[in-house]
Amino acid sequence: MLNPQRSLSEGPTMSAASQVERTVLEEEFNWLLKEEVHAVLKQLQDVLKEASRRFSMPSPGLESQLKQENFILGSSTMDQVKGVLTLQGEVLTQADINLKVAKSSQVLHFQFREDKQWKLQQIQDARNHVNQALLLLSSRDSSYHFKTGAEVNKLMDAVMLQLTRARNRLTTPASLTLPELATSGLMKMFSPPMPGDVMVNFYINLSKLCLTVYQLHVLPPNTTKNFKPAGSSVLHNPGAMFELNNNRFEVSHVHKVECVVPWLNDTLVFFTISLQLCQQLKDKISVFSSFWNYRPF
Amino acid sequence: MSGNSLVLPIVLWGRTAPTHCISSLLVMDDFSTIITGCHDGQICLWDMTPELEICPRAMLFGHTSSITCLSKASACSDKQYMVSASESGEMCLWDVNDGRCIEFTKLACAHVDIQFYQFTVGTQKEGRLLCNGHYPEILVVDSTSLEVLYSLVSKICPDWISSMSIIRSHRTQEDTVVAVSVTGILKVWIITAEVSRMQDLDPVFEEESKPIYCQGCQSISFCTYTQSSLLVVCSNYWRVLDAGDYSVLCSVSSENDQSWAGGQFISADRVLIWTEDGCSYIYKLPASCVSASEHFRSDVGKTQDGSVPPLVYSIADRSDKQLFICPPLLICPPVTRFFFGRREPFHKLLIQGDSAGRLSLWSIPDTCSEQPQTTTVWSSISLQEAFDKLVPVSAGIIDQLSVLPGKDQPIKVTASVYIPSQGRLVCGREDGSIILVPATQTAIVQLLQGEHMLRRGWPPHRTLRGHRNKVTCVLYPYQVSPRYDQRSLVSGGVDFSVIVWDIFTGEMKHIFCVHGGEISQLIVPPENCSTRVQHCVCSVASDHSVGLLSLRERKCIMLASRHLFPIQVIKWRPADDYLVVGCSDGSVYVWQMDTGALDRCVMGITAVEILNACDEVAPSTVDALSHSAVNLKQAMTRRSLAALKNMATHKLQTLATNLLATDNADKGNLPKYSHNALVVQAMKTNVTDPDMHILFFDVEAVIIQLLTEEAQRPNPTLVSPETLQKSQAGADKGGSFLANKIFKQVKETMKETIKEHLLDEDEEEEEEQRRREEKSKSLSLLEYNLTMDTAKLFMSCLHAWGLNLQLDNICMDRLGMLRPHCPISFGLISRGGHMSLMLPTFKVCVWSALSGSVESRKLSLSDIVGKGTYGVSRAVTTHTCCLSSHWPTL
Repeated sequence: MLNPQRSLSEGPTMSAASQVERTVLEEEFNWLLKEEVHAVLKQLQDVLKEASRRFSMPSPGLESQLKQENFILGSSTMDQVKGVLTLQGEVLTQADINLKVAKSSQVLHFQFREDKQWKLQQIQDARNHVNQALLLLSSRDSSYHFKTGAEVNKLMDAVMLQLTRARNRLTTPASLTLPELATSGLMKMFSPPMPGDVMVNFYINLSKLCLTVYQLHVLPPNTTKNFKPAGSSVLHNPGAMFELNNNRFEVSHVHKVECVVPWLNDTLVFFTISLQLCQQLKDKISVFSSFWNYRPF
Repeated sequence: MSGNSLVLPIVLWGRTAPTHCISSLLVMDDFSTIITGCHDGQICLWDMTPELEICPRAMLFGHTSSITCLSKASACSDKQYMVSASESGEMCLWDVNDGRCIEFTKLACAHVDIQFYQFTVGTQKEGRLLCNGHYPEILVVDSTSLEVLYSLVSKICPDWISSMSIIRSHRTQEDTVVAVSVTGILKVWIITAEVSRMQDLDPVFEEESKPIYCQGCQSISFCTYTQSSLLVVCSNYWRVLDAGDYSVLCSVSSENDQSWAGGQFISADRVLIWTEDGCSYIYKLPASCVSASEHFRSDVGKTQDGSVPPLVYSIADRSDKQLFICPPLLICPPVTRFFFGRREPFHKLLIQGDSAGRLSLWSIPDTCSEQPQTTTVWSSISLQEAFDKLVPVSAGIIDQLSVLPGKDQPIKVTASVYIPSQGRLVCGREDGSIILVPATQTAIVQLLQGEHMLRRGWPPHRTLRGHRNKVTCVLYPYQVSPRYDQRSLVSGGVDFSVIVWDIFTGEMKHIFCVHGGEISQLIVPPENCSTRVQHCVCSVASDHSVGLLSLRERKCIMLASRHLFPIQVIKWRPADDYLVVGCSDGSVYVWQMDTGALDRCVMGITAVEILNACDEVAPSTVDALSHSAVNLKQAMTRRSLAALKNMATHKLQTLATNLLATDNADKGNLPKYSHNALVVQAMKTNVTDPDMHILFFDVEAVIIQLLTEEAQRPNPTLVSPETLQKSQAGADKGGSFLANKIFKQVKETMKETIKEHLLDEDEEEEEEQRRREEKSKSLSLLEYNLTMDTAKLFMSCLHAWGLNLQLDNICMDRLGMLRPHCPISFGLISRGGHMSLMLPTFKVCVWSALSGSVESRKLSLSDIVGKGTYGVSRAVTTHTCCLSSHWPTL
């Protein structure tokens, strides 16, 4: 019944539309508001519930019942860094990092301290944004009667804002400066303690759990090298410099290893599908915008 | 700060009030001001009388996205500050009295709620803002500098905080923050004096963490009357908890698929709870919830059915709505808040703001009856109603040309562009016609009384007809780059077409019909594109397509379509021949302009990096849609709908830097716009609104232009710059820095005009000849003195009429100034491009303020005009004096 392309092409001749055409348009629009909108909202809710389920929200007091998953982070081309991370919901409960130092061929081994866990804020934020979107959708169930297209657009805007944020949290990890990274709580989580010339960072990029290890060397104070502190970035390159506690450091090696988290991949797909559903509904509404804004002159 | 503000905005709001879909509400402590924030990012200040009459006073511009929360930011009553936060993480500190922006900042995260609290630090009280939002901490921010001082962090199950409440315990003399996280865990932080004194960003961990198993917590509030109970409102139920051990005292579920949205204690034994759709109820709490009662806590642990409190009052919002003949349909849930006065007259007010810009007030009775009752709305007004009540109605820029016979509403202006070089305003209207009109003259008609009122169809204008329906964007490419033909004007409409006009003859040159949706934006490509692209304009349509339309070849050379999401930003990589399209979902499409091939489509970090790289390569080509680095010149020409929405900050920011920061007395670096005494900027707060117009008067430029013209008149004693200096020195007594600067600019301008003149005569004589012919061809648009008109308009608006009759007469008779029809809405530009604009209804506020002391009949319109002007004239006094001293000689 509703074919956006067809209605779209009627747009330019709107002002010349006959009474019959206008009646048909009005009927179509009413059908859109009464039937189609709810069908789309239902579909959206189903998709988002599925996405939300993937995040497996911990119920208070029962955190320990969440499933633990182990991920082996490595790279086929280089074997300097290998990490085994245990993810429980949004929390990294255990981490084993093996670092092969090139010049001494010595292997360093780090583990999370027993009492420490690292929360991946990106996952928590994404989960909360999805739940907010679901909350918005559930306030308009099938018994609700939408009266205007603007009302639908407003709801879609609010839902899309949450969904875009949820997706962006996973697709764009926080960019940090090197001093920020050096002073973050992550450095104090390991046993044995991290040596001063190694830094690590965990983050989510798209559906991948990433581990970056930076090896540093101290720049002598009378160095002839031009010192230029690096800005904030997700992944710093070798040669990036920074200053901390009056010492100047330069990144000598960067190792990045990653591993796909299958359920994060699912959620990203769900986000994309639901964003497209929202946009398509908005586009359908906008086909009629010239109809409800129409004023003869 | 006001000493530097050389730019004075005057607003023509038009008859349609701006869309104000209220998203947050605040009543100041003295109950004289209500503040509302809207989904489009504007903030409205409403004055409230002790009799609870409300009237909108001013609108504050500066946020780029929906206002998420408002809070007061000062404790004392002599300086009233409030803070606002937006969805995009901006925070602004405003002076409530004049609408000045005092401080602003931007964080990466969005706040959902802000609460002001005074912590005791030693003997002093320090104002702090506690913020919670889409992050797992509570940020404590200094209320004057807006700097984050420290944060309250959770050790156990850290998660977003959905609501918080601050109390001061009389027992321990400590400030306690109680908050509920989204997972339903109640957290308690204790702010000791040591904590408040902390300077570094050490986190403060929670004292207590207890799951209270409430999902979707909407609000949490303390009973300030007994300090022994806590009200938690979730969407499905509300509960009263014991403030000591957080055990449930009573619980009430929502009915009929309503969901609770908030609530507060209104006395020791009564709570006011409101629903998401705007109904409110007062419940009398059972004895087991009231600490003074002997039955307190008697129900703890029992089944919850036993303690359902009786409903004593319902504030039926739905039936109230039937009072209006045609209630505007609401497009999103209203915002409800409760405020009680801590001083006389101790109002207990329930306030609701809805998507139609309507504020409704209920006064909550103190008496307690046993039978359920309903109460009706005490006072209610929407922005549009306030506009409708005005006599005379609020003027729009070309209202006199737009009223059709037999209709009382003028045709709305939907897109406009000001061409400063010609002093003309181009207005596209909702009926598809485009009007070209001298800007100062039409503004004079709207604002001032005079003989022009008798002439029909004044001022002379030209109408271009071609679009079938609403014109959505207008562009004058020559203004952006001289590579374009100065005759071409380009317009886009909802009829999917882009039309090229000859601005001098009014002829329609070409119609492009390449898009499959309403045209939303027209952009000029940057300088260093290929020659073919240089003669194109870029059009963006609502079917998510982008076209490059060649004005020279009269054909579309590239159409990039099939983007899945609306286009948010267009950027350029001229060196690589790339057109970069940023969509609203964060995806980026890179198109090859020459071949029309899609080079890449990316998302995530790569997308962000590509967009940022475009900025680095050519900072001047950044588009105005979502990024701030735009120069004014481009900003002036981009009439795009989405861009206009952002204009409030970005464009004004540049305007402010370009126009206000002329203090670097670098002669070679004189800002171009000092030549434009008047800039007309169209603005809309929402895409669906008609344009309102702001006249930005650059006071310095007005003076420079007047002096320049004076010097250029064939008066032998004044021709050389040297004699001008003498005359000026005499007038300004001692030559202030400002006067010197102005003088320098006058000299520069004169030299430039002389140079241009010589050039024209020597090399471009033929061209000049042609231009003259063209000018004479544009018959309907008469030549007029732009400078004098601008000065006349400006001085007439600025003069404080009605304070001194003699002076008024001199102004009218000798200086040819004109009286305003009605009080003029001025604006105030403050730092960072934030702006406060007086609403046309402000005079009603002034009226009610004055009528208490003066007999209202004797109070003439002009008194109000005078009073309204007073505030702004202080800011421009020095310049006005300077201007006035030269006025009679002209």
